[in-house]
Amino acid sequence: MVSKDVERLLLKVQKPGRYVGGELNEVIKDKKDVAVRFAFCFPDTYEVGMSHLGMKILYSQFNSVPDIWCERVFAPWVDMEEEMRRHGIPLYALESGDPLTAFDFIGFTLQYELSYSNMLNMLRLGGIPITTEARGDELKHIVVAGGPCACNPEPIADFVDLFFIGEGEEVDLEVIELFRQCKREGVGKQAFLRRCADIEGVYVPSLYEVSYHEDGTIARFAPKDGAPAVIHKRLMLDMDKSYYPDNFVVPLVEIVHDRAVQEIFRGCIRGCRFCQAGFLYRPVREKSPETINAQCRALCTNTGYDEVSLSSLSSSDYSQIVPLLEKLTAWSGEEKVSLSLPSLRVDGFTDEIMNKIKTVRKSGLTFAPEAGSQRMRDVINKNVQHDELMQTCATAFAGGWTTVKLYFMIGLPTETMDDVAAIADLGQDVVETFYQTPNRPKGKSPRVTVSASSFVPKPFTPFQWEPQDTIDMLHEKQQHIKNSIRSKKITFNYHDADTSFLEAVFARGDRKLCRVMALACERGFHFDGWNDCFRLENWLALFEECGIDPAFYANRRRSFDEILPWDHIDYGVKKSFFISECRKAYENTTTPHCRLACSHCGAAKYGKGVCFEKRQDLV
Amino acid sequence: MKNVRIWFKKDDACRYISHLDLNRTMLRALHKSKLPIWHTEGFNPHPFATFPLPLSLGFRGVNECMDVKLEDDDFPFEEIITRLNACLPRGIRVFKVTEAVMKAGKVAYASFTVCLSLPGKPSGLVCRQLEELLACEHIEIEKKSKKGRKTVDIKPAVRDFSVTERFDFAELAIILSAGSSDNVNPNLLVAALEQRTGETYEADITRNELYNAEMEPFR
Repeated sequence: MVSKDVERLLLKVQKPGRYVGGELNEVIKDKKDVAVRFAFCFPDTYEVGMSHLGMKILYSQFNSVPDIWCERVFAPWVDMEEEMRRHGIPLYALESGDPLTAFDFIGFTLQYELSYSNMLNMLRLGGIPITTEARGDELKHIVVAGGPCACNPEPIADFVDLFFIGEGEEVDLEVIELFRQCKREGVGKQAFLRRCADIEGVYVPSLYEVSYHEDGTIARFAPKDGAPAVIHKRLMLDMDKSYYPDNFVVPLVEIVHDRAVQEIFRGCIRGCRFCQAGFLYRPVREKSPETINAQCRALCTNTGYDEVSLSSLSSSDYSQIVPLLEKLTAWSGEEKVSLSLPSLRVDGFTDEIMNKIKTVRKSGLTFAPEAGSQRMRDVINKNVQHDELMQTCATAFAGGWTTVKLYFMIGLPTETMDDVAAIADLGQDVVETFYQTPNRPKGKSPRVTVSASSFVPKPFTPFQWEPQDTIDMLHEKQQHIKNSIRSKKITFNYHDADTSFLEAVFARGDRKLCRVMALACERGFHFDGWNDCFRLENWLALFEECGIDPAFYANRRRSFDEILPWDHIDYGVKKSFFISECRKAYENTTTPHCRLACSHCGAAKYGKGVCFEKRQDLV
Repeated sequence: MKNVRIWFKKDDACRYISHLDLNRTMLRALHKSKLPIWHTEGFNPHPFATFPLPLSLGFRGVNECMDVKLEDDDFPFEEIITRLNACLPRGIRVFKVTEAVMKAGKVAYASFTVCLSLPGKPSGLVCRQLEELLACEHIEIEKKSKKGRKTVDIKPAVRDFSVTERFDFAELAIILSAGSSDNVNPNLLVAALEQRTGETYEADITRNELYNAEMEPFR
């Protein structure tokens, strides 16, 4: 519901359909029946935010409570932002059209570090002071944040009142319950936050004090006022009983992932050493095929989507993938619904799976070997063999595919120029495999896309102590791949190293970066994840102005005994496990995945999930 | 198989979606409604629907239509209305279902209500400006097309018009050439007015009805 003032701007901007709400299944409530108002903010455009599954889950869950009204807020694109500023229109929520100031909670989901500037910019556009301090003690405008980036909340600790650590389904509602109670008691915000800190999975950064050594590393991280010294993540243990929406808001304009999305499990058994999600969401917890089937069908019925995507970190690792696909294809054809199965592993693309998804859309196939040489893949614990990849490609070619996309990373620990050149070789081998496949599509030639992104070391991974390659080194490696490619059938793409550098700074940053963030907001920085807006030189100027060396965060090797900015947060995987994994990486030694053997990472303490499944070798 | 014309209004939030988005929204609603609509028989079967005359983004439409093929000849029209409305966003409301009497290509004219205002200026002034413009022998405006820019005279496309002074806007009721060959968008008229007076107007445009070459309402 948009105001007359907003309507006046809509015909002046691109894609006005992003700013009006009014979609099928949008939740509208009567304000007089509502006790708690929650603005769920996604710090990116409507098209990106509306594609995010976590937002859909929490939006529906909040709104399933009669007196909570959760509304959606997205970052307006630059043209709309300019119009809004010029006409003095504050950032508003799509459902009611009310500005951010009308809300009790202003919640952000943080999916990538480069959206931090958008978060602050959205607060500013909404007329909300950006720092916790400036917002005062009145029990309103509580700024909360969650999502994977909350695992290292320190670079934005000054701006967020409380972080949700881990999965939000339960802890969000517990905080809202406490809010109601504090409201009844007439308690101020500070006291409310102090009480929130006692809820497991809540981190209140203002209750901790950090002091630093002269060299900039952390000397001490101290809780104040009896706040817990370690903050433990929350997680849903029984995925079959975990809330899942039977309905999505169906956008009027086309979004990035315009389809129904069905989560099939959380976590990943693999333990690739670069992958943060693989550790944050341990242990693996699956939904049963029956649950997935029922949820899937309800979603399709209620949204009208004719495509459903099965979502997880590695779909082919779902233990009952074939029975599940059988259940789904039993009705999907009849109801003209197509299935897509993203995140397939190289070793998970079998004939059986292929034939099930082939009835669907023949889009390109994408695999992520991540590294070119076998040694490098062992370092990162990818556990994919060269022959497996070739076999998989042969299967795909025999099945009629001609386009294969391969994702790689450059700048991985211990990487040499030979490892980099091996990326080009692998692409070449795939091209050759095509011509060696007897029943390949006749009269066609293969198209292999080789895509290289730059490795960003992340907290809660065995590589959290590693330096990132400098931008110059990354450029050199990109060139080296380019020069090593000999076939015209291979297309080479690479990600901009500048953005990866800034991502590395914020991923492992500490509270000293808050000053940089505040200044970035003052100077109007936004959409740093978009090439249209991101300028590294502008950021470098800010760092200089603040007397901060970004290389300290991105390119420095930490020692195992350094206090890391996120050491007070516990995701279930022990630091000692990360250290041993890091050492094994340097010895080119792999670690078996969770279903082959338990490596005692620590996640078994939750008492559920894959840690308690029967192992394959015992069955 | 029966050719059926579904009549609907497009307003509120849905006023701001493009024709392509409307098409997608309609297909999804048809799919969700499980009405016996004929589907395409390609690799990805989807309901088959065509629109006799697309509506520009930003316009309100009070008498819009979409053609589908009904697989069950005896399926009650009333039920199509109820079931589709349950599957559509609030800004799109189906109000009537008829058989497709005229071929889609027969559309030759469309009538519009254009509410124009200049913030802070009397509506009488806008009325006079409009009347002056429409009294011209030629109304020339640069039109962007796929082939590039060209100057066109839109005056011959004006079939009929009247200007009424309202409390804070000027109301222009106008019938313009429409259809696949000589379509004239009322936005062009507003642009011509802006070119002439150097002002920037606020325009609220509603498309009312479609007609054939004989000025019979499109059915």
